[in-house]
Amino acid sequence: MAAVAATNPSQLLPLELVDKCIGSRIHIVMKNDKEIVGTLLGFDDFVNMVLEDVTEFEITPEGRRITKLDQILLNGNNITMLIPGGEGPEV
Amino acid sequence: MADKDKKKKESIFDLSKYIDKHIRVKFQGGREASGVLKGFDPLLNLVLDGTIEYMRDPDDQYKLTEDTRQLGLVVCRGTSVVLICPHDGMEAIPNPFIQQQDG
Repeated sequence: MAAVAATNPSQLLPLELVDKCIGSRIHIVMKNDKEIVGTLLGFDDFVNMVLEDVTEFEITPEGRRITKLDQILLNGNNITMLIPGGEGPEV
Repeated sequence: MADKDKKKKESIFDLSKYIDKHIRVKFQGGREASGVLKGFDPLLNLVLDGTIEYMRDPDDQYKLTEDTRQLGLVVCRGTSVVLICPHDGMEAIPNPFIQQQDG
C-alpha cells in the first residue's frame, strides 16, 4: 500500500472515524429521503452497519416513522452520509 | 495480465491538495453537501467538517438556498459520491440554452 497511498497517516481516515463512533449514537443519511439514528454496534468493509435502539425518519412526509428496538442490520448499499453523535432531524 | 497485477489501485486524482479546503460534493440521489475536507481514502470515502447539506425538492428544483442543514463532522460514502469540486469553483449562470425560441 506504500506506493498507492496518496493519503498521509496524519490525516483522518473516514472509516477510522466511523470506528471511533462504535458504542455511541450515529445518524445515517441514505441516498433517498430516509434517515436512521441509532447506537452503532459495528460495521464491515462494505459499511453495512449493525445498529441498536433505532429510529427511522422519513424526511418528506414530515415525521418520525418507526422506532425499532433490538438490533438491525442496515444495508450499506444506500448509505450516503454518516454523522457521529447525530440526533437526527429535529421534528 | 501481468500489467494489471502491478497497477493495483492507483488513484487518478489526488485529493490531498484539497485537505483543509472548502469543497462541494454531489451525491447520487441528488443530495449536495459542502464542508472542509479533513480526510479521505482511496475508495473516495470523505471526512468533511462543518458540513452543510443542501437538499433538492420538487418545487425547489435547483434553488438550493432552502433546506440547508448544519451537519458538523460527517463521513461521506465514496460509493455515493458523484462529484467533488472546490466550493469556490462554481457559480450559477443564466441559462445559456434558452435561445431556441426563434426560427
